[in-house]
This record gives sequence, C-alpha cells and structure tokens, in this order.
Amino acid sequence: MIARRQFNLLTAAAFGALSFAAPGLAADPVTIGAVEILTGPNNKYGLAIKNGFDLALEEVNKAGGVLGAPLSIAYEDTAGNKDQAINAVRNLIGTKNVPLILGPTLSNEMFAAGPVANQRKIPIVGTSTTANGITAIGPYVFRTSLPEADVVPVTLKTARDKLGVKKVAVMYGNDDAFTKSGYDVMKAALEKLGIETVATETFGGKDTDFSAQLTKIKALNPDAIVVSALVEAGSGILLAKKALGFPAKVRVIGGNGLNAPKIGEIAGDAADGTIVGSPWFIGKPDPANQRFVTTYKAKYGADPDQFAAQAYDTLFIVADAIKAAGAADPEKIKDALGKVKRTGVLGSFAFTADRDPADTTGVVVIEMKDGRFGLLP
Amino acid sequence: MMHTLDNFLFTYQSLIYALGVNSLLALSMYVVLAVGQLSLGQAAFMGVGAYSSALLTLKFGVPFPVALVVAAAAPSLLAFVIGAPTLRLSGVYLAIATIGLGEVLRIFFLNWDYAGGALGLNGIPELAGFIWIFGALTIALAGFVAICRSRVGRAMEAIRADEAAAGVMGVNLPAYKLGALVVSAAIAGVAGAFNAHVSSFIGPNEYGFDAAVTILSFALLGGIGSPFGPVIGALVLTALPEALRPLHDYRLVINGLIIVCVVIYLPGGLLPWRISRIGARK
Repeated sequence: MIARRQFNLLTAAAFGALSFAAPGLAADPVTIGAVEILTGPNNKYGLAIKNGFDLALEEVNKAGGVLGAPLSIAYEDTAGNKDQAINAVRNLIGTKNVPLILGPTLSNEMFAAGPVANQRKIPIVGTSTTANGITAIGPYVFRTSLPEADVVPVTLKTARDKLGVKKVAVMYGNDDAFTKSGYDVMKAALEKLGIETVATETFGGKDTDFSAQLTKIKALNPDAIVVSALVEAGSGILLAKKALGFPAKVRVIGGNGLNAPKIGEIAGDAADGTIVGSPWFIGKPDPANQRFVTTYKAKYGADPDQFAAQAYDTLFIVADAIKAAGAADPEKIKDALGKVKRTGVLGSFAFTADRDPADTTGVVVIEMKDGRFGLLP
Repeated sequence: MMHTLDNFLFTYQSLIYALGVNSLLALSMYVVLAVGQLSLGQAAFMGVGAYSSALLTLKFGVPFPVALVVAAAAPSLLAFVIGAPTLRLSGVYLAIATIGLGEVLRIFFLNWDYAGGALGLNGIPELAGFIWIFGALTIALAGFVAICRSRVGRAMEAIRADEAAAGVMGVNLPAYKLGALVVSAAIAGVAGAFNAHVSSFIGPNEYGFDAAVTILSFALLGGIGSPFGPVIGALVLTALPEALRPLHDYRLVINGLIIVCVVIYLPGGLLPWRISRIGARK
C-alpha cells in the first residue's frame, strides 16, 4: 500500500515535472458517470447540477485528482424521462464501466433507474432526490440531498418557537408526487410539534384560481398557511392571499417547492413574509460557502442555486470515497462512501446507516422580503 | 466475446423491451385507425392494464400469466362501455370520449391511495422478459397479417375508404368498429402490463394525453397501410433518441428534425404499402 502510494506520488511528480507547462495528470482518468436532465423542460435543475459537478471537478483535479489520476465525469441525458434514465444508467454501466453514478435528477427517475444500478452492484448517488423511500431501493443507492422529512420539521419548529404559530391551515397539490409527499411530511411534523391544523385544502398543479380554498381558510383565522406546491401554483396562492386581504402577519410557510427566488419575481410583494427551510442558502456567511458563490459566479456568470451547491459538495464526497477506497472498484467505493465525513458548503456531512444524510444542522430558515430571500432574523 | 455481448445486452435491455412494448402499442392504435376511427385513449387502456396487473402481482402475488389476462380483459371492458354508445355516432365523438376517459382515469389513479396515489407504484417484480414481449408481438403481427388477408380485413379497409358505401354493401359497421376498439384496448392493456413488469415503477402521469399522442405518432409515422407500418414507426421513434445519444445536447433537435422531414416527404408514412392478397386484382 505504502509502496504503491509512493509510486503514485513519484509518477505524478515525474509527469508533473515533464509537463509543467500544461498542468494536469498524465495517467488515464478515473471516469464516473452522471445521469441528469440536460435537455427538455426541467433541464434548469440538471444544468445547475452539472455546473456544480464541473466546478468541484476542476478543484479536485487541481488538487491532484484521485488515485494518482484525474477524475472525469461522463454525462448522460435523461430529458426527464424515466425510460431514458434507465437506458442512460445501463449505458454507463454496460459500455463505459463506470464504478459509480451520480444522479438522476428526479425522484421518479431514481425509482426507475436506481434498481438497475443496485442490481449491478454499482453505487448510485442522488444529489437532488428528496422523496421518501429513495434509499430503500437497495444498499447501493445513496443520496446527499436532505429529504423533505428532515427540512420541513425544522421550518415548522422555527415558525412555532420564533413566530408563535399555533394553528395553521394546510394547502397542497394532490396531483404531483413531490407536493403530495411534501404534504405527508408536513402533516406528520405538525402533529408531532403540537400545532393545530384548522383546515386541509387541495388543488391541482395547473390551477390558477385558489380563491375558494383561501376564502374558507380566511374565515377560520389561522396564524399561518402551510403550503406544499411548486413555484407556479405557490405564486398563485400568494397572489390570491393578498387579493383576499389576509392580514400581513398570516405568513405562508412553504416546503422545498417554494424555496425558489422565482416566487419573489412572480408574486412581488405578495410573497413577503414567506418562510421556507433550505439545506443551503446563498447568503450563508461561512468562508467556504462565500468562496463557492464567488468562484461559481466567476465561472458561469450567474448565482448558484441549492442544486448546484448540493452537486458541488457531493462531488467532493465522492472523490473522498474513491481516494479512501484506494481503487476504482464499485464495492470498495460503496463501503468507503458510508464512512466519508466532510464539511462542505452545506455544512457537515456524513451518511446514516441507511445511506441518507445524517446531519440536519446545516438547514437554515429563510424569509422572503422585498422579492429576495434572506436569513430569518 | 461473451463478456462484450453480455454488456451489450445489459446496456440495451430496457431499450429492446421498449421497442417491443411500443410496437404493441402501435399495433393497438393501428386496429382503430384501420376502421377509420381515432382513439386517443390508448394510453389510458395501457394504464389500466399496467395498474391492474401490477396491483395483482405486487399486492396479491398472482402469477404473471393470470395478471396478463386481467390486464387484457379490464381495458377491453372499459372500451366496450365507452365504445358502444359513441361508435354509433359518426365524426370525432370517439376521439373526444377517449380523451375524457384518459383524463378521468388519470385523476382516479392520482387519488386512489391504495395504488400509491400521486407517488405511483414502485417495486413491481420484473416478471416480463424478452420471450413474453416479443412472443406477444409476433403473435399479434401474425394475427393481423392473417386478418388483413381475410374477409374481415377487406371489410375493415372498405370502412376506412368509405363508411357509407361499406354499410350499403352489408358490412356491419357498429360491430366492426366496436370489435376493433375492444381488441385494441386488450393489446394496449397487455403492453401496459409488460411495461410495468420491466421498469419496476409506474405513476399516474405516465398515461396522460402526451402518451396517447406519442402512440398515435408511432402509427402515423410508420403508415397505416399494413400492420408492419406502425411497428416500424414505433421502432424508429423509440430507437432514435438512443441512437442519437452521441450527439449530446443536439440529439432532441435532430430527433425532431428527422420526424418533420418524414412527415413532409413521406406523408403516407415510412411503409405505405398494403398487404397483398391472394386473388387480388392489380
């Protein structure tokens, strides 16, 4: 082992000396796969994730790569389609022989593609799959994104303790896996925290009129409205809430779907006071995060979002695991992943025995004010 | 060599299954188009087949062949109920009724918590395989070729060419149309069952209007002169996005471009020819 490491160092040093004009490592790269939505309507998620990976990849390779060779990523597109996600995973495993796969982007894609990787005993690491039951697919399925079940209770507890929220009304979209499972989590957390639910109303993801539900809710006079919705419907609810003249102290408490700067753009000042929990926030003051935000902006000319941040951290976690495994071997990487401990832009990270993120201390509660999110004072 | 073949099969296994399943769906569309009707409920029939068979094998451990029979019977029954009143009318009523059926079923599956609601069903056992899917496809194709060459096939073609004339010649229009719809629903249901039992996850939004239009496009791209046309259409439309994978970001652009070119330059579809008949003149 020692002899081998010395050998690697020697070769690296030798090649480094030979080719100092073009920095980089000469050995064959260690290639891992990534399956993300790079085309189609949901590609904003996949592209943010790819940017996060690429930025981290650059830094990993600048610091010497893994196993004495550069790390590289083979991307495959799913277009947001579960069958294409399966094909992409099969392609990466069958023809490119990757020892690990990052992605896919959506939970539904993971439910389809995860079993394929698991059956072939190739570790697959989701960076944005938050639905319940993802890691139950099998022992080779990991995720680095905090499930909603970890984020929502923090948000609601903060609302209860800091803002004195005692009774709420709940609204959720019942035709979408993401918003429905968000509601299930909210319901359980509300019961556990002893917050009274005065009404539960549903809507469809493409609805534009929410006045019936909100008129009913207004009559019940809750302290806040808990909403599980994606951006479009969520913004519609915020606008309707303002139009119906709710008092300003009745806030909307959102799930991860409302954790998007876009609601400020669409709903304007109607969005003020909205609070959501987030595994990451661009304004987190710690130096690691600030450095990430600056380099990301310099490279891509845009602000990073939480998907980019999660991807950025994940690539370092994976690189650590490959280094610890000592070989590009799926079985060894899988064992090493379980032991990785690391502090990144999302806070400290380790996997639980069930391959979910162990630490929720990185969750921050943020508030919408004047069209922008800021930390809740 | 063995290893290479193994890896090749592993890589393209789902694609090969999808080719078979989509070919069956294209055939199910063909049966309806062959009597001059338009159904946009094929995705819904597929969904009923997928859900009914998946619930049976997943929750009750029913053997796959039995589940397959139910997957064919349940959508057929539905097609009968929808088709019997609407097919007696001429015009676009079947298309409208089947769009409605698809929407109703989607909402039903979304709100049916026993079947997973919006979260769908996952962990469906992988029971269908190469032999099942391509066996069924071969049988269906052989069946349609036989029908095309028979009296029934001629009657269907007559209905498609001129409904009124065919009726005057003594073709029982409602019976033919209803029969075609029921058979088509059964095939779509079987395809749905295969799809559920090779991809391990199904959700209610997979069987909506988009899927119905995709199935229709298989048949239109391939041409509906013979049963082979829709199958070719399904093979091309399924394999194309995968074959174009090396083009990365441009693949869906090229994919769309190829389809547009086919529609413009081959309006009759890729395979416009009819099956030749024994004793047919010309």
